[in-house]
Amino acid sequence: MILIEVHLEILKNLLPGAVPTIQLTILGAMLAFVLSFMGGLGRLSRFAVVRGLAGFIVEFFRGTSLLVQLFWLFYVLPFMGIRLESGMVGLLALGLNYGAYGSEVVRSAVLSVPKGQHEAGIALNMTAFQRMRYIIIPQAFRTMIPSFGNLLIELLKGTALVSLVTIPEMTFEALVMRTSDAAHTLEIFTWLLLIYFAIAYPLTMLMRWVERRYSLGRL
Amino acid sequence: MIWDWQYAFEILPRLLKVAHVTITATLGAFVVAMILGLVLAFARRSTNRLLSGVTYFVVEFIRSTPPFVQLFFLFFVMPQFGITMGALMTGILGLGIHYSTFLSEVYRAGIDSVDKGQWEAATALNFTSRQKWVHIILPQAIRPIIPVMGNYLITLFKETPMLLGITVVEMLSQAQIIGSQSFRYTEPITMVGIFFLILSYGASLLVKRIELRMDINRR
Amino acid sequence: MSNIQSTERPHTEAPIEGKDPIVRFKNISKSFGDLQVLNGVDFDLYPGERVAIIGPSGSGKTTMARLLMTLEEPTDGFIEVDGRQLWHKEVNGNFKKADEKHLHEVRGDIGMVFQHFHLFPHMTVLKNLMEAPIKVKGMSKAKAREEALAMLEKVGMAGFADQYPARLSGGQQQRVAIARALVMHPKVMLFDEPTSALDPETVGEVLEVIKEIAKDREMAMLLITHEMSFARDIADRIAFFDEGKIQEEGPPSQLLNEPKTERLGEFLHRFGIDGKGHNV
Repeated sequence: MILIEVHLEILKNLLPGAVPTIQLTILGAMLAFVLSFMGGLGRLSRFAVVRGLAGFIVEFFRGTSLLVQLFWLFYVLPFMGIRLESGMVGLLALGLNYGAYGSEVVRSAVLSVPKGQHEAGIALNMTAFQRMRYIIIPQAFRTMIPSFGNLLIELLKGTALVSLVTIPEMTFEALVMRTSDAAHTLEIFTWLLLIYFAIAYPLTMLMRWVERRYSLGRL
Repeated sequence: MIWDWQYAFEILPRLLKVAHVTITATLGAFVVAMILGLVLAFARRSTNRLLSGVTYFVVEFIRSTPPFVQLFFLFFVMPQFGITMGALMTGILGLGIHYSTFLSEVYRAGIDSVDKGQWEAATALNFTSRQKWVHIILPQAIRPIIPVMGNYLITLFKETPMLLGITVVEMLSQAQIIGSQSFRYTEPITMVGIFFLILSYGASLLVKRIELRMDINRR
Repeated sequence: MSNIQSTERPHTEAPIEGKDPIVRFKNISKSFGDLQVLNGVDFDLYPGERVAIIGPSGSGKTTMARLLMTLEEPTDGFIEVDGRQLWHKEVNGNFKKADEKHLHEVRGDIGMVFQHFHLFPHMTVLKNLMEAPIKVKGMSKAKAREEALAMLEKVGMAGFADQYPARLSGGQQQRVAIARALVMHPKVMLFDEPTSALDPETVGEVLEVIKEIAKDREMAMLLITHEMSFARDIADRIAFFDEGKIQEEGPPSQLLNEPKTERLGEFLHRFGIDGKGHNV
């Protein structure tokens, strides 16, 4: 016998947890977005030192697994005298990790712009900055959108992991609820998955819409 | 002192002792993903609209909700239906299912990349449907997707630490245990990070080489 | 270009007398959505006969070959191959739509050479020729190899047996594709504009190969082509296709020299052939 009250009770407990989940997703995405451009353009810098450094940092955060980074920030930083709020730890880990993935998106998109566009910019006597800002990036941005869309969903999925460092987001709430109400495990986790999907699906649609908008009137 | 070399060497064997769990989880889940992904790809291509539609929804749902939550779902809910399996097996199954949705899309892209004329030539030579797949289409479809699959294997590898959520003692979990015993987290967690960095970066270099070789016109 | 009327015709005996057609199109129609490509085509092809189909692009001539090769399904009508229904199956006197098993049985009589060759890029030239005889006909490897090499010899490609298709020129690829179709020994061979995708300098070598294999009358040939003088040389009969129908057919000399319909006259004129079969 499935009682409607059971479901309402579950939703009452889970939905408040959706707020930190969405916050982490949005703020994490913003941080990752900025870092993507820093990392991606850094790897294409004229200066070998910048290239090398950006390359090392990007490969480091791509290579070491999100959860390991999360644990490192959570367990190790305090030993170095840096105490961060757990929410900050989650945000930082998500931003750094997905920023590193995003760097590769930015880098390959910039590289995909035909060389002739650079040359046309030079022929118009633009500075390197002007060429990047007004010629290359506007064209590259369009190719970045689908990949950024995928990364956004990955980031949303990644927020579930921060429950492990005691951030009271949705998955955390579900695990707490289960310990006191094991009989409704199926219902709890089904609702949890459905809410994640309810967040992810509009995000996917949104990114597709952005993609279409940016393709309007272009090739 | 932030880093204690002696301590690091002391705990290294304990960390490496569970390296095989991480590797087993990675390879096991990838095998599940490869097989199930093929099933999903064919189901999606089916001329049966219902089967194809349901598959589309299932794939969208699984790939846009967190694998971490899916693991809990399997881990807690399966026993309620009388299915019991060890935590590692559950983890392999869970990650395998999650990544099968990605691989199914990769397969589809690979199959779609084979020129339509290949199907027609195979029909003209009177190959059976099965022979067309086995001898003509799949050998051509697999070639371009090998690097993509390699990258998914690396991504999957980096996801395995989340298995600690369902009590699998893999490397990160072992590091956490060691840390809690001695209250020194810096060395074990950093070492796990380096382990992941070395393997995943090394593997990504390998994939890049394979990609280059695939790119050059054959032989 | 040479005077079309004066080119030699290697064979003159009429193969038709007293024989049943190997291929028969009965009132065949085909449409893609709203677009009617074939509009009630009746057409017979006799064993050993060589028929060229000419006509403007988009007239449906390629579709005819594709229906016969079972690459497309007709919207209406019947196709018979050697007395058997191709797209239908007779069950208790009723015609039912053929299943894959039936198609597989009948399709073995047909071979096809494509405009874009469609060699299998992951196999060597030799393997391209051996794969179907082994897998489809169950031939032994040794026998398949022997036949494949002999056939490569015939199309002048024996020296390329171990190469991959990507390394070959278009003309070479097409010669291999012809050999690949030939080793299956079809009763009817379809050539779908076999030289249209080729560089001008390699067209000749492919036409030579087709002429060569046309010499023995083992199989019927249906040639869709834009090469008028070639059609004139090789065909026993030419059919002019336009607007989804055969508008006119007959021996090359008659069809090219004295077109009955205005359409054909105009079409030939565009190819630089006047109403008397002479270049203008």
